[in-house]
Amino acid sequence: MNAFSVAAFNSGLTLATPEIFLGLAGCGILLLDLLIGDERRHWTAALSIAALLITAVLAAGVEVSGPVTALGGMFLVDAMSQALKVVALVIVAVVFVYSIEYMRHRGILKGEYFVLGLFATLGILVLISAASLVTVYLGLELLSLCLYAMVAFDRDSGRAAESAIKFFVLGSLASGTLLYGMSIIYGVTGSLELGTIAAAVQGGLATNIGLLFGIAFLIVAIGFKFGAVPFHMWIPDVYEGSPTCVTLFVGSAPKIAAFALAMRLLVDGLGGAHVDWGQMLVVLSVLSMAVGNVVAIAQTNLKRMLGYSTISHVGYILLGILAGTSQGYQSAMFYTITYVIVAAGSFGMILLLSRHGFEADRIEDFKGLNARSPWFAGMMAIFMFSLAGLPPFIGFWAKLGVIQAVLGINAVWLAVVAVLFSVVGAFYYLRVVKMMYFDEPVDAARIDGSPLMRAVLSANALLVLLLGIAPGALLVVCAHALP
Amino acid sequence: MMFETLLFFAFSAVLVGAAFGVILARNPVYSALLLVLCFFNSAVIWLMLDAEFLGIVLVLVYVGAVMVLFLFVVMMLDVNLEELRKGLAGYWPIAAVVAGLMVFAILDVVVVKHLGGVSLGAAPPLPADYSNTRVLGEALFTRYAYPAQIAAVILLVASIAAIVLTLRHRPGVKPQNVGEQVRVSAKDRVRLVKMAPEKRP
Amino acid sequence: MITLTEVLTLSGLLFSIAVAGVFLNRKNVILLLMCIELMLLAVNFNFVAFSRFLGDINGQIFVFFILTVAAAEAAIGLAILVVLFRERRSIDVEDLDSLQG
Repeated sequence: MNAFSVAAFNSGLTLATPEIFLGLAGCGILLLDLLIGDERRHWTAALSIAALLITAVLAAGVEVSGPVTALGGMFLVDAMSQALKVVALVIVAVVFVYSIEYMRHRGILKGEYFVLGLFATLGILVLISAASLVTVYLGLELLSLCLYAMVAFDRDSGRAAESAIKFFVLGSLASGTLLYGMSIIYGVTGSLELGTIAAAVQGGLATNIGLLFGIAFLIVAIGFKFGAVPFHMWIPDVYEGSPTCVTLFVGSAPKIAAFALAMRLLVDGLGGAHVDWGQMLVVLSVLSMAVGNVVAIAQTNLKRMLGYSTISHVGYILLGILAGTSQGYQSAMFYTITYVIVAAGSFGMILLLSRHGFEADRIEDFKGLNARSPWFAGMMAIFMFSLAGLPPFIGFWAKLGVIQAVLGINAVWLAVVAVLFSVVGAFYYLRVVKMMYFDEPVDAARIDGSPLMRAVLSANALLVLLLGIAPGALLVVCAHALP
Repeated sequence: MMFETLLFFAFSAVLVGAAFGVILARNPVYSALLLVLCFFNSAVIWLMLDAEFLGIVLVLVYVGAVMVLFLFVVMMLDVNLEELRKGLAGYWPIAAVVAGLMVFAILDVVVVKHLGGVSLGAAPPLPADYSNTRVLGEALFTRYAYPAQIAAVILLVASIAAIVLTLRHRPGVKPQNVGEQVRVSAKDRVRLVKMAPEKRP
Repeated sequence: MITLTEVLTLSGLLFSIAVAGVFLNRKNVILLLMCIELMLLAVNFNFVAFSRFLGDINGQIFVFFILTVAAAEAAIGLAILVVLFRERRSIDVEDLDSLQG
């Protein structure tokens, strides 16, 4: 433990400019929102989106040359943190663009949604840059507390309150488990800082049964935050029960946070004990791919189906992490980023088709979409093909990456299982595509939506296609982030 | 020291008993009060472990604020106890729980026996002028200044969330406007009317 | 003197009682919240004990933050509970079956 120096602390503040700006912007927007009347609430949204984009620019502008810890050893900036922060901020901005129209139609366009969203994003940033168990925990809780409140946000919906309470109870249990694991790791290694913990684990603690016990608790908590089977019970309920704009939020950026949580705790802190946690993750990964893909087939609600689809994709992300090689981590990061982009787009489609008093959350609501709007049917098809992992869409490269990573550690059976379940999974995505193109429309209403939303949604879909044709740039970013 | 060990066991016994009470009591009010007892006993044990500041904070913040909030909500919601009492059907969950508890206790002992890095012997002695509060304060406002800021944001989020979720503007409520009440002057309220004197009928 | 073994065993007992409570009181949300508080108490015991026996103040600082967050968590949890009760007139989790399957 180095002595504390005020000068060093202050110079570290420049590295944390994005976090400081976002925190101040959140407080400022909270105050401004009081002065804005209900009919001009979209100003709050515009300001929040602007704040997120400025923060993204600031995060991209932080100069990084190798991992640097700052702020009393609590804060870490490296190439991975920078890339993940920019992606998370841009995705949240896109989520806000999609949400405005939907919330206005339902009379729940309130400033607090955006303020809580901003603070949740701050939690994600803190978690991504965590260098100590304390900051990991605080970032995670800041994110989770905002999400609990956002799920219950529509106060007149009993279903939202119900799914919020389930989410809250299970989430708090997971936090308790995480803390118990952290306390044991603190006792065994004698430190809260991930760097010191890593050194202690390398120094011969890797086979310590106490450490193994602590890791088991951490895995439960990480599994929960990801939504991996058997800790997935909250995902379908929360996805279906909350207002779609909140489902969109919960289903996108927090996945990046979950990935950062796993990377910081398991790789940065406990990298030396990879043999132990790798085996635990194998179980979670295989179960998630199996349960997610099989149960999704039986769903009639699109939000619920996408919930189970999330569970299956989490299985693939874990596949990359459990490989324990830098190739594996890169592929998991690539998978997480691409999944989040596609998930934001597919929930955005539900928001686009929803209108006043009508929720387009059943799969039948997409019947005959081609007849109503060939352009947006094409967009939805791109998202579904990508989720199914068909070439040349981006989901294909993501799946290929993780499968190559497990082949790299000679786990051929895992690769076979992964391919098998992605074939099963392709069925229910293609069913949606079939309904859009070959069934008669049940609903002939015109698709409206603000020009901004249509433009961003189209750009989102085209990005999925473009990255699918030329995935090189993103692959380079991931390779640079996790050398 | 024999006496200290004796005290520890006495408080631990009450603590474990109260914890069982929390999960088994059928009336949530009893559970909340037993949880308060748990916190008091824990605070004493923390004092014996030389964590004076945290012991006091546990009583002041937890018992003083959080548990009062719990009791307040329990009573405000007016939960139908008869309904909830029906939940204790069948003893199999208890059996499973007891078995799980045993397994956990054994595991725990295994962990305790195998903890590396920690000397299982006596705690390191503290200097005579040791002040727990001072040491905590120094760490909190130097190395932990950044986490302290995040904790502040978490508290802000909690208050925003609590207000967003529960504040309702009901139509037809007649609130007082204190500002107007204070600003009022005699001539707004009392009208002096000049009248011609009248004869008694 | 209190030994580390004794405190850790006490904390393990508390944690398992809390977990047992979660399984026993699956129906009553307010008791679930109390079981979570009990679980956090067990965690705090671990940190305080390790901090004392390692001679390292960081563990106690972590407890300080856990107490802060737990207070915030309780506030949000109870707020959601109040919203649920207003909508359903019940906090019985088995009533919460409109989301299944």
